[in-house]
Amino acid sequence: MMRREDLTARVMKDMDPELFDFLTTYVDSFIKWDLLRFFHENPHTMDTGENIARYAGRTAEDVLTELQDLARQGLLVEMPVENMQVYMLKADPTIRTRLQQFVEATQDREFRRKVIYHMVRH
Amino acid sequence: MQNEKRVATGIPGLDAMVNGGFLPRTANLVEGAPGTGKSTLGMQYIYEGARRDEPGIIFTFEEFPEQYYRDAASFGWDFRELERQNRLRIIMSSPEVTKADLENVGGTIQNLITEMGAQRMLIDSITHFEGLRQDPVESRKLMYGYLNALKRQDLTMILTRETTHLFGEGLEGQLDASIQFLADTYIMLRYVEIESTVQRAIVVLKMRGSGHDSTIRQYAIDAHGLKVLQPFEGQEGVLSGSPKRMTESFMKAFVRR
Repeated sequence: MMRREDLTARVMKDMDPELFDFLTTYVDSFIKWDLLRFFHENPHTMDTGENIARYAGRTAEDVLTELQDLARQGLLVEMPVENMQVYMLKADPTIRTRLQQFVEATQDREFRRKVIYHMVRH
Repeated sequence: MQNEKRVATGIPGLDAMVNGGFLPRTANLVEGAPGTGKSTLGMQYIYEGARRDEPGIIFTFEEFPEQYYRDAASFGWDFRELERQNRLRIIMSSPEVTKADLENVGGTIQNLITEMGAQRMLIDSITHFEGLRQDPVESRKLMYGYLNALKRQDLTMILTRETTHLFGEGLEGQLDASIQFLADTYIMLRYVEIESTVQRAIVVLKMRGSGHDSTIRQYAIDAHGLKVLQPFEGQEGVLSGSPKRMTESFMKAFVRR
């Protein structure tokens, strides 16, 4: 029987290393995937987790944890404004380029299948 | 103030109505029903500024930025490219966050305005502020502080505000006295029914510190954006939404002189 690591390596082997790195660093749930697409399409959003959840059509409870994760991982900036916690996409051009590459890659069905495989495995 | 250089809107016909443009560091209110073109007018103002090396910022509390990119593209305005050139930024946020950020010295918005050298702003729309405070006095204070914080940054703004009535009915009930007072210019967009067709009317009701055209004019939105056309002639009660034709004797006596 094939070992799990071998199967993963086979599924992911032809993926661009930078995309693979982006995927494994930031994308481990469908909500994060949604949030990445949201910030790509609306790159200068600056708002609270509750409002971002509303824009993304998700519950605040689900989204807040994922936003905090993405901030910890360095994709988003989390900052206090008065008594609110506000989230923004990091201005770093490298991160924005990687995000764009990831969103563009998800246009491809095969790539989406790999993302789903990665998330399920996770 | 009268001799200050004006901020030309670049919108065909509108600058002539406002004596060459808005006065600098002013808040200029554009009010109208859904679909009258408030956001189009605001986007065109920002686009024309970007073309003249006067960078602009759009605050959206309602529409997703991707909607602006798409709408602008339908008029041939490449907002994504303008963002790449740092001449435009579309910020999706909420009134409470932007207000709190603006009150902070060295806040994100203040830094962005400085970094871009932004001179123009579109706030689309201030209708969203009205839900923040129940008390109208508190609401007015909040708006006053917000606009002053932006004026302090040398911005000349367009604020949009939505009315619920498609035509002129119930006009008096809709006018929020505090917004009228706070805005330096008050432009109204209206649908008008004339001979079974719906036309659009624009009027400048107020312009603090400046003269302005007081005629009610037609306007159109085509593939290039919004343009102000000729005044309505021979009609009265245009702002009611259902104008009546003036009598021929009145026309001869007062209009065609």
